[in-house]
Amino acid sequence: MLEVKDLKVSYNGLQILNGIDMCLQRGDSLAIIGESGAGKTTFGLSIMGLVEGRCSGQVFLNGRDLLSLSEEDLRSARGKEISMVFQNVEDALDPIYSVFDQIEEAVRIHQKIDSGQIYEKVNLLLRSVGLSEDKGRAYPHQLSGGEKQRSLIAMALANNPEVLILDEPTASLDAVTKAEVIKLLRENASDKIALVITHDISTAAKLTDMMAVLYAGRVVEMGPTRDLLENPRHPYTRGLIRSSPNMTTTKDLQGIPGRMAHGILGCPFHERCTQHVSICSEKVPPLFDLGDCRSIACHRGGIVPLLEVMDLTKSFGSFKAVGEVDFTLYEGETIALVGESGSGKTTLGKILMGLLQPERGEIRLEEQVITGRRDMKFYRRVQMIYQNPKESISHRMTVLEAVKEPLEVQGKGRLEVQISEVKRVLKEVELPQDDEFLKKYPHQLSGGEAQRVAIARALVLNPKLLIADEPTSALDASVQAKILKLLLNLQENRGLSILFITHDIALARKVSDRMMVMLKGQIVEEGPTDVVTNTPVHDYTRKLLNVAPDLSVENSSHRGSCNTLDIISQGKYPLRANGIFR
Amino acid sequence: MHVDYWKEITGSNLGRAGLTLLGLMVLIAVFAPLMTPYTPHQNTDTKAFSPPSKDHWLGTNDARQDIWTRLIYGARTSLEVGFGVAILSSFLSVLIGGTSAIFGGLYDRFWMRVVDAIIAIPGIIVIILVATYLKPNVLLIIVLLSLLMWPGGARVIRAQTFSLKERMHVSAAHTFGAGWSHILFRHIVPDLGPIIVAMMIQDARRAVFMEAGLSFLGVSDPSIVSWGKMMQFARVYTFLEVWKWWLLPTGFALSLTLIGLSFTGFALETALDPRLRDDKHVEGVN
Repeated sequence: MLEVKDLKVSYNGLQILNGIDMCLQRGDSLAIIGESGAGKTTFGLSIMGLVEGRCSGQVFLNGRDLLSLSEEDLRSARGKEISMVFQNVEDALDPIYSVFDQIEEAVRIHQKIDSGQIYEKVNLLLRSVGLSEDKGRAYPHQLSGGEKQRSLIAMALANNPEVLILDEPTASLDAVTKAEVIKLLRENASDKIALVITHDISTAAKLTDMMAVLYAGRVVEMGPTRDLLENPRHPYTRGLIRSSPNMTTTKDLQGIPGRMAHGILGCPFHERCTQHVSICSEKVPPLFDLGDCRSIACHRGGIVPLLEVMDLTKSFGSFKAVGEVDFTLYEGETIALVGESGSGKTTLGKILMGLLQPERGEIRLEEQVITGRRDMKFYRRVQMIYQNPKESISHRMTVLEAVKEPLEVQGKGRLEVQISEVKRVLKEVELPQDDEFLKKYPHQLSGGEAQRVAIARALVLNPKLLIADEPTSALDASVQAKILKLLLNLQENRGLSILFITHDIALARKVSDRMMVMLKGQIVEEGPTDVVTNTPVHDYTRKLLNVAPDLSVENSSHRGSCNTLDIISQGKYPLRANGIFR
Repeated sequence: MHVDYWKEITGSNLGRAGLTLLGLMVLIAVFAPLMTPYTPHQNTDTKAFSPPSKDHWLGTNDARQDIWTRLIYGARTSLEVGFGVAILSSFLSVLIGGTSAIFGGLYDRFWMRVVDAIIAIPGIIVIILVATYLKPNVLLIIVLLSLLMWPGGARVIRAQTFSLKERMHVSAAHTFGAGWSHILFRHIVPDLGPIIVAMMIQDARRAVFMEAGLSFLGVSDPSIVSWGKMMQFARVYTFLEVWKWWLLPTGFALSLTLIGLSFTGFALETALDPRLRDDKHVEGVN
């Protein structure tokens, strides 16, 4: 049993690990994930007793505190009870010894057996990691990256240790080799305590049952790997998942704003967190239990639900435009509302925005009921982008006046302050801020520019929720792509929640975390975008997916016609005889 | 489509004529003191009821006052009432018509019944009664005429606002938290500009005419000069030879003012209503 209690490590007064607690049984596998600089490797090294900085706390392995052992005792434990596969395969092997010799050395240090047995043992180890005897005779420079990694694993497994620490075990490997190494590790680590240190979430997902997210020397979230990846609760965890390329999620990659800093007051993540409140910069949140083996360190209890909609219903006469709609939109999340025209998408958007009154149901914004009464403050939190920017901006307003309008309505600041706000937000939407541009009227702008101005107008009040009603359907594809990119970047930087209303499921797939399919005012299917688009349950969703645009060619006649045209141009066939000209 | 209304008006003969007449009247009213050596209430040394002469272009009246002087100062009263009513009445029209359309519901129904009621009541009698009771003066006349005239404009503004308020930029303004005044004066009124101007011209025309009529009937401030009052005096003194010098120039001035306003109004209405525009203009736009 490996038990870590309040482990702290500092280098030159800079706190790298800030009190780590965990307890692992034999057979457990735990992934430590986080950005580089989070303290992941330091954590591994400090368990090995190899850390150079000041170390405090306890690391118990079967009742012995490794941190208080003498160097002598530690040496006998290292490699035997705990072993580590180091990060950089190129540097971890000694170039002047063959791989066989290096594995033999690892065995010889801890086991007193004769040469014959050692020979057998090393060959067995080589085979178990999938290396032939010939490869064993080779020197490191004669081996590929994958083979070097395998030999390092063989060294780590040489004495059948109880704890196996894998530091970026697959970092520099190609995908095929990576898969083989992962398989190998799974086979060999199942009876050990495996600690996988990696920034590669997909490796972590394949190798471990539990996952801990490390940020600036603190565990910010911990839980069963599968659950944690499907349903991250800490904004940092979600950011990590969003920024890692994978075949599961369909949304475009998004990063996490800012840089990691050690030793800041309060929650270590608060400077980069888009939902931080005042307490976040004052006190460090403790890691508390959420149940189901999940725990999280966040003052706000993880990603907060921004908008909650319950049983929302609206009819026009006898026509039910929106019926019994329920959903929750979390901070920094995009929900795509997909459906054909007339399905009630826009009506739902308008109800949320307060332009229409619902008959029944409740809307909560940041846990406050807003149904029926919306004050000026509400519109600082929620804004809307319309389909056609040239209609949503008064044709009598210049860019400056249009973007300034929300500030005027809200009575925010004096004129100079307003103008500088306008320029700031124009910069954010990547538009020029010079006087010439500010004096332009909507009809002098291109479609993309006008939509950017409309987005700037919506953003100038710093809202948390953006309702985007077909924001790109009036734009051509390349401009659309740029606008979507902009929205994703804004979400990344501001933690904007977006309700993305669209009829285009292909588009929705690329921009949303979750998807709701609407038919005749009802939400007929709802779930993570990848699940909805890969395994649709409702017939209507399937229908939408079938008619969604793709680039594959329907039948071979198009390709064929090109050839026939070639033949025609060469004069081999009279035109009349050819099908396509009939 | 953007229509340059100013260009449309100055481009038509009617519009040019109307604006010229109106400009002339305004110039006369503004520069009245420069065009006469007398003041309107000055009792000159010339004897009463004298016919036109070199000193008195249109002669003098019973109180030895110069009629030309009274005529050009009378333009001031007419135009004051005209513009005053135009501004106040169209403000009321926009305010009530616009808010009725924006709020709708009971509020709208209430004001539309008020509009019906005011249109149904014979206004002139009410004004005569009220003005007489409250001692008539220019401001009171302006207020009373405005209260009588706003309903027609309010109907027009309400109808236009109904279609304008469905525009996207109006609901966008709603989503910034804008109240009715912002919506009305920043988003609706600018688009109604030409219609409001046409309405103002119409109101002014009616106001000038009614002011003249009211003062002819004696509902007027006794201390001011007014064309209607002058005509009334002319009628009283028909047994004297000079009456025509009192009546005809005054009637002519009143007619010119009304014609000027009417022509400008016609030209603007033509520009506003595409059905009234002739093809020449369409080609000109292209």
